[in-house]
Formats: sequence, C-alpha cells, structure tokens
Amino acid sequence: MRPLRILQRVLLAIPVALGVAVLAFFSLHLLPGDPVQIMLGDTNTSAAQIRAMQHELHLDQPLTTQLALFFGQLAHGNLGTSIVQQRPVSTMIAEALPATIELTAAALVIAVLIAIPLGLLSAVKPRSWIDRVVLSTSLLGASMPAFWFGLLLILVFAVDFRVLPTSGQIDATIALQPVTGFTIVDSIITHNGAALWSALRHVLMPALTLGAVFAAVLARTVRSSMLDAMGKQYVTTARAKGVSETAVVVKHALRNALIPAVTVAGLQVGELLGGNMIVETVFSWPGLGRLVVNAIFAKDYVVVQAAVMLYAITYVAANLVVDVAYTVLDPQLELR
Amino acid sequence: MRRGRWIVLLAALLSLCVADAQGVFAKTLVLVLDTAANRATEAQAIVTQLNQVGINAQVRVWQTSVLQPQIIGGQRSAYMTDWGSAYFDPFDLAVPKLVTRGRGNYSFYSDVAVDKDLQTASSTANDVIRKSAYFDVQKTIYKDAPWVFGYVLQNIEASSTNVDGWTPAADNSETVYGASVRGGDSLVIGMRTDSIGTFDPAIPPSRDTETVLRNIFDALVAHTPDGKVVPQLATSWRRVGPATYDFTLRTGVKFQNGDPLTVDDVVYTFQRVLTPGAISGQSSPRKDLLGPLLRVQKLDDTHVRFVYAAAFPEVLLLQALVHFQVVPQKYLTQVGEAGFVAKPIGSGPFRYVRGTVDSQLVLERNDGYWAGPAKLREVVFRMMPEPSTRVAALLSGEIQIAQEVAPDVVGRLKASPGIVVRTAEGTRSYQIELNDKVAPFDDPRVRQALNYAINWDPILKDIYHGYATRLATCFLPSGFGYDPTLKPYPYDPTKAKALLRAAGY
Repeated sequence: MRPLRILQRVLLAIPVALGVAVLAFFSLHLLPGDPVQIMLGDTNTSAAQIRAMQHELHLDQPLTTQLALFFGQLAHGNLGTSIVQQRPVSTMIAEALPATIELTAAALVIAVLIAIPLGLLSAVKPRSWIDRVVLSTSLLGASMPAFWFGLLLILVFAVDFRVLPTSGQIDATIALQPVTGFTIVDSIITHNGAALWSALRHVLMPALTLGAVFAAVLARTVRSSMLDAMGKQYVTTARAKGVSETAVVVKHALRNALIPAVTVAGLQVGELLGGNMIVETVFSWPGLGRLVVNAIFAKDYVVVQAAVMLYAITYVAANLVVDVAYTVLDPQLELR
Repeated sequence: MRRGRWIVLLAALLSLCVADAQGVFAKTLVLVLDTAANRATEAQAIVTQLNQVGINAQVRVWQTSVLQPQIIGGQRSAYMTDWGSAYFDPFDLAVPKLVTRGRGNYSFYSDVAVDKDLQTASSTANDVIRKSAYFDVQKTIYKDAPWVFGYVLQNIEASSTNVDGWTPAADNSETVYGASVRGGDSLVIGMRTDSIGTFDPAIPPSRDTETVLRNIFDALVAHTPDGKVVPQLATSWRRVGPATYDFTLRTGVKFQNGDPLTVDDVVYTFQRVLTPGAISGQSSPRKDLLGPLLRVQKLDDTHVRFVYAAAFPEVLLLQALVHFQVVPQKYLTQVGEAGFVAKPIGSGPFRYVRGTVDSQLVLERNDGYWAGPAKLREVVFRMMPEPSTRVAALLSGEIQIAQEVAPDVVGRLKASPGIVVRTAEGTRSYQIELNDKVAPFDDPRVRQALNYAINWDPILKDIYHGYATRLATCFLPSGFGYDPTLKPYPYDPTKAKALLRAAGY
C-alpha cells in the first residue's frame, strides 16, 4: 500500500474515534442513574452536598456543555479526570493497557498455534476422522460462552489439579521492577525468572479462554480456504513440477490460503477486545476491559468515553494492518 | 303467591349481603412487585403467597439502574429494596429512610412525630432521651407499616483453617492486625470489589475502600468486628460542653515515613474534609457524616477540640470518627494529592508496598507500629469481583480469606477440608417498600395486610439457607436503641384477608 493511502487511513481514524466518543457519551447519559448517587451509596448525605458534588463534577450542566467541556479538554490533549478515582484517565488507561495487550497477544499466539495446524490437517485430509474432530471441536469452541469456559478451566486446573493459579496477573509475593508495564517483557528485561514463570502461568488460562473462540473461527477459515487453494491450478502445476507435497501445502497453498485467514484475524481483534471485558472480570485481570466494566457500572463517563475512543482507534488500526498485510501476502492487490 | 315472592326477594337480598361479606363485589388488589434480578426468586415466592390471600400480584424484574430513578420519581408502587448502615446507630438508616423527604425515603413516608423523634435522636447528647425517641419511632412505624418489613442478612465469609485471630466484621472491614497464619507469615484476602477506588481516606467511595485503608491508616477511634468503638490514636475523650468534645492524642505515634503524628495532622485531616474543594478542587463526600461540625482546633500538643454548631450525640461522633483516617500533613502537602494516592503513607500497622487499587495491593508490616508490630509480615488484598473466582481461589489455597460468600455455596465450602465458614451480624435491612403516597398503599390497613400475608420463614430458609434474620421494623438488632420487645409481624393470612376486606378489597 502506498504511504499516502496509509496516512489517509490513519487520519480517518480521528473522526471515527470522535464520533464513537459522542455516541458513547449520549448512550451513557441515556441510561438512568447518577455517578454521585452511585458513589455515595447508602451514606447519609444532605441534598445540598449532593448538589455541590454534582456541580464540582459539572454534572449539573446541560449535556451539550458537558460534551463541549470534554472536547475542550481533548483538544489540549487531556482525557480528563475520573469521576470516581479522581485520577487522570490517561494514567489509568496507561496502567491498564499493557495487561490487556499482553493478554490479547497471548490469546492470539495460542489461537494461531492451535488453529493453523488443525485447519491445515483437516484440509489436507478432508472427511477423515481428524477433520471431523476439528470441525466439531471448533463448533464447540465458537459456541461456548467465555464466561462458562473460563470458570470451567479454573475449576479443573486451579481447584482440582492445582497446577495453575485461579486469577490475577502475577503472584503477589513477587516484586517486579516495572519498566515497560508489560509483566512478561519486564520480567525478561530485569532477568527475573520467578516473575516470568509466574506471569506465564497466570496468562495461560485467560489467554486460552479468550483465544478459544478465535481459534475455532480461525481453524474453520484456514480449513475452507486451504481446501479451496488445494484445488487450484497452481497446486496441480507445482505437483507436476515434482515439488514435494509438504512444500506444495506450506509454500504454495498455505500462503494463498492465509489471505482470508488474515481478514478474519483482523476482524476478530475487535471481538477479542469485547471478549476481554468478560475474561478480565472472571480472571481478575487488571486490564482495560475490567476498567471499562467498572467505569460503566459506576457511570464514570469520562473513563468510558476515553476507553471507547481507544477501542475505536484499535479497530481502525487493526483493519489498516490487515490491509497492509494483504499487500505483503498478495502483491497483486497493490495494483488495484 | 305474594308471600312466596317476598321470600324469594328476601333470600336474594340475604345472599347479596353474604356475598358482599365474602368479598364477591369487592375490588381485587393489584400489586406489581418490582425487583432487580438478584432477588427475583424471592419476589416470585412472595407473589405466590400474596396470590393465596386473593391479591392479584405479579413480579417485574428490572435493571437496578433503570428501576431506581423510577422509584425515586414516585412512578412505582411496590419494590424490593435494601439499605445498609455501618453506624450501629439508626442515624444513617432510619433517618434517610423515614424522615420526610429523606435521601433514602423511597416510600414517601411522612409522619410529624417520627420526624421530631429522629431530629431529637440526632441532636441531643443524652442517651436516655435518644433511646426513648428511637423506641417511639419503632412503635409508630410498626403500626403505620410504611412498607413490608423484611430481614437482615448475615455477612458470610470463609477462611482457611490455618488463619487465626481473624473474624468477619459486621461492617465488612478486614482488620488483620491481630491475625496470623499457622505455617506462614503472609495472608491473601480475596476482595468482593473490583476496585477500592482510591487511597485517599477523605474520599472513600465504598466500605471496601476502608477495608484496606484501615490497615494502612489509623483513626482517632476504631471499631471492633461487632461494631464497638475503641480508642486508637485518641486515648480518651470527653464532652466539655453540649456541642464541644475534647480528644487526647496518643503520644509517640509515628507515620510510616518516620514523621511524628501530631495534633496538627489531626486538624489538617478534618480541614480537608470540612473545607469545600479542599481535595484538589473536590469536596469530601463524607462531610455530612460528622453532623453540624464547625471546626477542629488544636488546644495544645496532645489535645484537639471538636466544635459543633449544635448539640451532637457523642455516640454519633465516635461512630463517624471511625471513618476518618488521619493523614500526614507534611507529606501530603509535599507530594500533593496525586503523589499521595500514588504512594499513601499512614500510621497503621501495615504500609503500602506495591499494587494498584483495581488489581492487587501488597502491604507489609510496619515494624514501628505504636501498638507493637503485627504478626503477619505481609498482607495482600486481591480484587476478585467474580464470586465463583473467589471461592475457587480459596479452595485452591491461593487466598486464605474470601469475602462475601453466597449462601448457596456455603454447604460445599463447609464440606471442604481446611476451610471454615464464618459469619457476622449484617448491617443491611432488606424489605419491600411501598409508595405510601398513592392508592392502594396510602391506606395503612393494606400495608399491614401485606405484612401479615407474607410467610418469610420458608423464604429465608430456602433461598438464604437460614443466614437471614427477620426484622420487626428496619431498626437493626446490632444498632443503638433497638427495641427487642417488638416482634416481627406474624404470618396470619386470615388477618390479612380481614384487613383487606375492611379496606374495600
């Protein structure tokens, strides 16, 4: 893809993010409830003090004024201050984001490691027992609720066999020097073997839960596009040239079959972000998904708006990466 | 023939009278019971019972955030609600729920005598008068039945059997100063919340925040697990006038950074709370807990004075002070609000080491603690909002204490070796509130009838596995001024029917 077109797409992300933020703002305000009332709970507070707090937080202003305030801050590069925690939203997101990226990356790796070999195997031997197993397992994987699957994993591996920790990101007893904020990266940088081992053990189950649906969808896509590719003339040509069957499958068929798989992968990044909210809650994973869920329950508008914008940007970015990857995998696309 | 006609007419009239007495011509009482999903099963059981006394009742399940504004707006008529009180005094339960236009008065109940009694109870220092005022309120509301009185749930928590010196608290706090773990010196607590919100004691969003903060900070006074007030940073106190209290500060107390804790820190702590906008532009939401407090002033190096605008009961001041942890003035002004919440420093038995408010917090023993170092070297608070994750973590031995265990998993936990389930008296009243302003619940007879028509015992036994206690009103047995002679409305469907008939149903 030409650099100019990439720049175009990057710039396009800005109005998308802003539009999504406006939508999020109004839909949150449509919901009944008031952050101050939620914050106060059952505390015996006078009506006067409630009004004073609402005033300090600009909640007594008209919606349009509140929205203008938000965009005014945004123009200064300020995402605002959380209503509940009274901390800069940018700090809160910066703290939560590495955990989510780490989890999503782990889920992607697990999903790709499971899905591509399985999809390949079942495509190479269609209608064999292995194909049937792959197809039925992927159906199961795609229809299984993450919430249920996560709890099931916890019960089996943490409670019954006690081989993996139930939840969290790292053992509390391990002190890890933060460098990048990414637990796994930091433990490698600081040569902290204990922390690395603990972090890997902690990420396994949530990543598997998150990656399960993704792996299922990906395996099916790889299978069908491989079947498609295996029937193409260039495969027959390759075989006629006397190329080994492994080389035919991996070099000729797979490379072409990966194009639809990459599309699916890109679109699934959005799904992964949504899935994060559930998986992070079940596994007490301190990431963005949990931050957003907490903020929605507390009606912490400021946090939700910022996070939703981030989601939108990620989605646009994922799509862009998919498009760029296309041109790498299939140079013909560059010409169109 | 003529006589025969008269007899027929008389018989017809008589049967009309009998039919009327039987309620054949009466209207049927229609009741829509609103609830959030978590109490839907209970609501269904209640509705079935109401149907048996001839009420046309049905359940409607809502999202709490949608239902709440409708209730407050007076658009609903019967709704399942609950209200908590960590005060051990009806002050923050009865006052908001019963006073005319109170913040939690979802029944729109209004009674001049009740208003006056509750005003008396929160503005006199005389405990005898306060108690009698509370007794009067209970008698009045028992008779008026502003709503269908319910029950109080116990706090159920579970721990590993090798944890000693710990018990769940009525106010859900986890004070682990005296706790120890056999075969270890580290304790991990699975918290029911997703985030404790902040480290600043002046703006704690919830009880869960205090659960952690009370281990890092000390207040002038503290709670025992059953809600009694005991000295902490203050060694003694006395009322020197109807609206003035003097506190004597413990000497030789140091903050975790080595700075001494002085009277100035105490004054500063309350200034931050009392002055609007004092916490980087934000006001403390907790100000009203202190009542009409004017100022807190230094008398000398060991004495501090609380000056009120009007008489304020000692018990309310002490219960409030439990919630106001003392912060270090010098450190806080030096690092600012942001620096303080990034690295809080208090004078409590444990100091903050690492972690964030929404994942896990590691605290380490403060060896210089004024009352002697704690037995535990390390305490970890892990945020585990998902109840089944908490139970799983306890079963796997990852955590030693699990907060808020659901009644239906208690059986399974009790059967597991190495785990013990413990309970504390709860501080939350659960009830069915009624809109007293509009028909049919503007008629006290209808409200009383509902109180007689519900058989709570099987509901509490089957749904809450016996971890709930019936209440005669909304006053809690753990609170001051509770009248033990009032017994909950008995289950009496006949009386309920009679009352409904009298009200025209």
